[in-house]
Amino acid sequence: MTWTRLLRSELRKLTTTKMPWAFFAVLATMAAINASAVIWGTDFDGSKTFISTAADQRSLVAFAANALMIGGLFGAIAVAREYSHGTVIPTFLSSPRRHRAVLAQFAAIAIGGAIIGFVGAALTVLAIAAALPTTEFSFLISIAGVAQVCSAAAYAGAAGSVVGAGIGAVVRNTGGAVTGAVLALVVAPPMIVQLVKDASSWVPGPLATALSGVSAEAAEVESQASVVAAIVALALWALVPALVGLLSVERRDVA
Amino acid sequence: MTAAVTTIRRADQHRTPPAPAFPIEVEHLTKRYGRREAVRDLSFTARPGRVTGFLGPNGAGKSTTMKVVLDLASADEGGAKIGGCRYRDLPDPSATVGALLESNAFHPGRSGRHHLQILADVDGIDRQRVDDVLALVGLDDAGDRRVGGYSLGMRQRLGFAGALLGDPPVLILDEPANGLDPKGIHEMRDLLRARAAAGHTVLVSSHLLGEVELLADDVIVVNRGRLVTSGRLVDLQEAATRVRCSDPARLSQVLTDWGAGVDSQGAVLIVRGMAIDEIGERAFGSGIVIRELSSHTSSLEERFLRWTNIAEEVSAS
Repeated sequence: MTWTRLLRSELRKLTTTKMPWAFFAVLATMAAINASAVIWGTDFDGSKTFISTAADQRSLVAFAANALMIGGLFGAIAVAREYSHGTVIPTFLSSPRRHRAVLAQFAAIAIGGAIIGFVGAALTVLAIAAALPTTEFSFLISIAGVAQVCSAAAYAGAAGSVVGAGIGAVVRNTGGAVTGAVLALVVAPPMIVQLVKDASSWVPGPLATALSGVSAEAAEVESQASVVAAIVALALWALVPALVGLLSVERRDVA
Repeated sequence: MTAAVTTIRRADQHRTPPAPAFPIEVEHLTKRYGRREAVRDLSFTARPGRVTGFLGPNGAGKSTTMKVVLDLASADEGGAKIGGCRYRDLPDPSATVGALLESNAFHPGRSGRHHLQILADVDGIDRQRVDDVLALVGLDDAGDRRVGGYSLGMRQRLGFAGALLGDPPVLILDEPANGLDPKGIHEMRDLLRARAAAGHTVLVSSHLLGEVELLADDVIVVNRGRLVTSGRLVDLQEAATRVRCSDPARLSQVLTDWGAGVDSQGAVLIVRGMAIDEIGERAFGSGIVIRELSSHTSSLEERFLRWTNIAEEVSAS
C-alpha cells in the first residue's frame, strides 16, 4: 500500500466524525468573544486604545498562540481516541510496519491542525473587522499582515497538533493525553523560563506571537525570535513529542 | 445474508483460481506480561482448507496468541508465520489476512460505511466492494447509521465485513459469534465453511462450544497459555456407551474391575474403553438387567471440560 492511501485513510478518519465541527464551534465562539471585546471592551481609562493602531489590532487578531493550544488538544484527542476506541487495530493490520501508519496519522493531524489554525485566525480577523465599525477606529491591518497572521496560525496549529498527537500516542488515553498537551504547551513553558531565563523567547507562546508578526512592544516582551527562527524552533517543539510517540508505538504492543 | 453468500461464492468461482495456501504456523510461542506468562511454548498449525477452532477458557491465551500472529503484540520466545512469513513481512497483509479481534473497535460517531471506507482507502479497495460486504453481512440498510446506535450483533457483523473486505485467503476471528442471533450464527457458519471449502485458512476462537462443534474441522485447545490438545475434531471424539440398568452402582464396579472407564451420571453410566457387546455380556453375567445400551459420543463441551480439568491437574502437580 502507498503512503498516499494511508494519508487519505487518516484524513477520512478525521472528517467522518463530529470532532472537527466541535473545534470549529469553539473557533466561532472565540471569534465572537473577540468581536464582543472590540464592541464593548475598554482599557482601564475607559478608552479603546487597545485597538487604536495597526500593531494593537494585529496583536488582537494574532491567533497563532491559541492555534497552538487548540491544535494540541485536537491532536491529543484525535490520536488517543484511536487507541481508546481500538480503531488503531485495523490500521496496524493494514500497515504492520507501524511507523508508516503513524507518520501518515501525524501528517493528517498536522493538516487538520493547520486548517483549524487558519480558520480560527480568519474568523477572528473577520469578526474584528466586522466589529470595528461600531467604534471610532477602522481596520488598520494590511492584507500582507492578515496573510501573515493566518499563515502563522496555520503553522502553529499544525505544530501544536503534532505535539498533541505525539503525546496522545504515548499516553493512549483521551483524558491523559489532553492533560499532557496542556502541560506541554501551557504549564511547562513558564516553568522552563523560570529555570532558564534566556529561554523566554523560545517557548511556544512567544514563538507563535513572533510568527504572527506581533511586535515585541505590542507583545510586551523584551526580545523576540525572528520569524525564520520561530518556524524552526516550533518545528523542534513538535518534533520531540512526535519522535517519542513514534518510538512508543513501534515498541509497545497494541492492547 | 445467505443469498448474498451464495452470490459471492459463485462470483469467486468465476474470477479466482484456487487460493494459494497460507497455513498459520505458531512455533514455541511464549508471551509474558510482566511476570505473568500469558502463553507458554505454544505450537500448532491451522491448515488451509480447514476451519480450525481455537478453544480455551477465559484468560487461556487465545487472544494474545492471535495478536502475536498478527504482529500486534511481540513474542518473548518463538513466533508465528502465515504462509511462511511473519505477518509484517507479507507483501499485502490485509489482502492476505482478514481479522476480527474486538467486537467494539469502532468509533461510535462514525457510520459503518465510513468505517469500511477508511479500511478500503488504505488497501486501495473500491467503493463497490464496501457496498458488497455490507450487503454480505446484512448491513446494507444500516451502513449509513452511526455505529454507536448498532446492537452488539450489528457491530460484530461490521467487524466481520471489515475482515472480509480484502477477500483474504486467511481469516482470523476472535469470538465472531458473540452477540449474533441464531440466524446470524448460521449464516456466518455457512460463510466460513464456504471459504474453507475454497481452500482458505480459517482460525476461529470461540467459547460457544456447540457452535465450534458444528463449524470446525480441527480444534486446538489451550489452557493457562499451554496447548492441551489439538487435532481433527473427529479424531478427538471418544466413542462411549450409555447404559441404564437395574443396579448402576454394581455394574459400575463390575465394568471398572474389567478395565473400563465408567462415568456415573445418576442412573446412567457412560462407559469408555469397552465394546458395547462386552458391556452387555458382563451385565448379563452379573445378573443385572439392562434397560438401555446405546452408543454415545461425548459433546465437545464435555470433552473440553475434561481436557481443561486434566490440564489444570497437571499444572497443579
